[in-house]
Amino acid sequence: MPATLPREDDRATEGLLARILVIEDDDGTAEEVMTALGDRGYRPERVASGTDGLDRARQGDWDLLVLDRMLPGMDGLAVLEALRGDNIMTPVLVLSALGAVNDRIRGLRAGGDDYLAKPFALGELVARLEALLRRPATLRETILRVGPLELDLLARLAHRGHRELELLPREFQLLEYMMRREGQVLTRAMLLEQVWKYRFVPQTNLVDVHIGRLRRKLDGPDETPMILSVRGVGFMLHAPA
Amino acid sequence: MRLLELLRAAQFRWALLVAAAFVACTLVLFGFFYWQTCMYVTANIDSAIMEEAHLIAGDPPADGRQDVLAAIGRRLRDDPRRIRLAGLFGPGGDRIAGNVAALPIGLPLDGRAHATLLTRLDASGREQQTVRAVGIRLTSHDVLVIGRDAQEVRWTADIVGRALALGLLPAICLALLAGAWLSLRAQRRIDAMRRQASRIVAGELQERLPIQSTRDPLDRLGVIVNRMLDEIEELVRALAGVGEDIAHEIRTPLTRVRATLERGRDQAGTLGELQELNDRALADLDKSLAIVTALLRIAEIDHERHAAELEVVKLTEIVQEVGELYDPIAEDKGVVLRVETDDATPVVGDRDLLFEAVANLVDNAVKFTPAGGAVEVSLRPGADGPVIRVADTGPGIDPSDRDAVTRRFYRADKSRGTQGVGLGLSLVAAIAKRHGFMLVISVGSGCVVDIVCRAARPMLARHVTSLPGPPELGSPIPVSSVPAPTRHLAAE
Repeated sequence: MPATLPREDDRATEGLLARILVIEDDDGTAEEVMTALGDRGYRPERVASGTDGLDRARQGDWDLLVLDRMLPGMDGLAVLEALRGDNIMTPVLVLSALGAVNDRIRGLRAGGDDYLAKPFALGELVARLEALLRRPATLRETILRVGPLELDLLARLAHRGHRELELLPREFQLLEYMMRREGQVLTRAMLLEQVWKYRFVPQTNLVDVHIGRLRRKLDGPDETPMILSVRGVGFMLHAPA
Repeated sequence: MRLLELLRAAQFRWALLVAAAFVACTLVLFGFFYWQTCMYVTANIDSAIMEEAHLIAGDPPADGRQDVLAAIGRRLRDDPRRIRLAGLFGPGGDRIAGNVAALPIGLPLDGRAHATLLTRLDASGREQQTVRAVGIRLTSHDVLVIGRDAQEVRWTADIVGRALALGLLPAICLALLAGAWLSLRAQRRIDAMRRQASRIVAGELQERLPIQSTRDPLDRLGVIVNRMLDEIEELVRALAGVGEDIAHEIRTPLTRVRATLERGRDQAGTLGELQELNDRALADLDKSLAIVTALLRIAEIDHERHAAELEVVKLTEIVQEVGELYDPIAEDKGVVLRVETDDATPVVGDRDLLFEAVANLVDNAVKFTPAGGAVEVSLRPGADGPVIRVADTGPGIDPSDRDAVTRRFYRADKSRGTQGVGLGLSLVAAIAKRHGFMLVISVGSGCVVDIVCRAARPMLARHVTSLPGPPELGSPIPVSSVPAPTRHLAAE
């Protein structure tokens, strides 16, 4: 069932008007990113060079940084290392035109929290930013609940209401990941990376098929669907109203 | 102009040098001849006059002086060439008989031959001569001098000198001519090569350097250069082919995007219609981007020399995970996916890349196998290490196409229209090559693709992180003798 991305109104009520600093030298990319973030109700600011970016990042009280890998003045990774050196632990999403796996690894090692290769879909960027902004607070819970859904991590049991769900190990992991990020849009690439730990782009709609299976087990014939498809972006688990 | 060029040419300088060396050799040789001949002639003269002198002096008769005088007279009689000399001097050095004007000063009276300057005295008058002479004191205390003009030695010198003059000049000319001819010939060949090379530089890559099949160094160099040109031509063509393929593959979705957007702008009546067309355009754009991403990825795997994530990889896990990942897809399609793992030998490699390779093979296999078919993924021991095999019951790959499928964008015609970018096998080939593994494509009941791995050496397994680069990956034999890792086609 298609749904659209949650808009400004939803966010405002959640009090998530996060301040985001976009450090990006390419005007076109920056404009699109700024517009997309503004549409979602964030308050983005942009600087175009590495040195300015580092200054602004040090001054302001930011919730999130979007950092281009290749910047004039100062390399993106150098900015990131300087920030982490100053013990500024604001989440950082690194953008890069270098599609290289190794570049990604370097980006993450330098202290980045996520990495996105250009070209990217704006939906993918926003989904990842929101995942960073709303990281699960505690990982210590042993029982997760979303609406009628209950997941017992110790007993490895899943229930929707009184109905027990028979899940394969990977389906269990997938559901756990989605429950921890209830109401967030999760892209295919995010699921593949986070649940399967794979970093390749499959040629077939792998994730869709796996989600389809989970959905068939989760949503009974006359139950409200809990896994929504977000058109062109990915999937979202939400509790039925 | 041509002459100047000739003089400048290295070959001509070389010819001159050879000619000079030739002259020097000839001179030395002639000198040696001259010296040896003179020695020989002198020795002959010496032994003759010494023998004669001793003969006269050695057997003293009762009235010695008369016999000596007679012998001298005999000696001097028939001498039309005026080369014989003989003289008898009293104990005080006064001349008694013979044609020697005075006892030569400095001639040792030791019965041996010496070069001496003396004055000849005969009917024609006095004449200074350089001669070979023997002085000997007789028992009567007289001094006997027997000599012979050394003009034979001079004649020899003259003959040798003339021969030298007559022979050397033509020889020098000959050497220069030969040098000029050789250098002209070489110059002509180099000119021809230069012309061809300029044409090649100007872009006529099909041209080759002229070869004369003489197997001389120039020819051999030409052969090597031509072989190099073959390689380059093939590479350039392949590259151009890839470029065209890329352009074509990307143009197709882009053309659709353009048409869709145009239609949306002109004809969409409602926001919903516009959005729908927009989404379609976005999907096509994503397809183009996927092609670009895949190409960049292959290029990265091909060229990146330092693998970041080398580790000991358990192929069993990879094969089983891929099986698990693709099982639902196969099931949805009505294809049976069987996984068998029969070898736990670890290999050294990049886990993510190897996973991607196996996933791509299974992806392809499931994609090309019609409903009711089966895909088998197996891991079995091979000669050098484990072999990952992905076999399907799909249409298979024609033997003539098997080499081509690992090329970028190649898709056998029958697979056109099936979803996916035609880059899957090229990617697998690149990954295999990077690991020093072999990719073997053969035919079973459908298509059979093997990744022939090499087992990790225990030593390597312990020091994985210090491995410098991919070619050394777990190689049990020196890198230079590793068989060509990709595009190896097994016999049917």
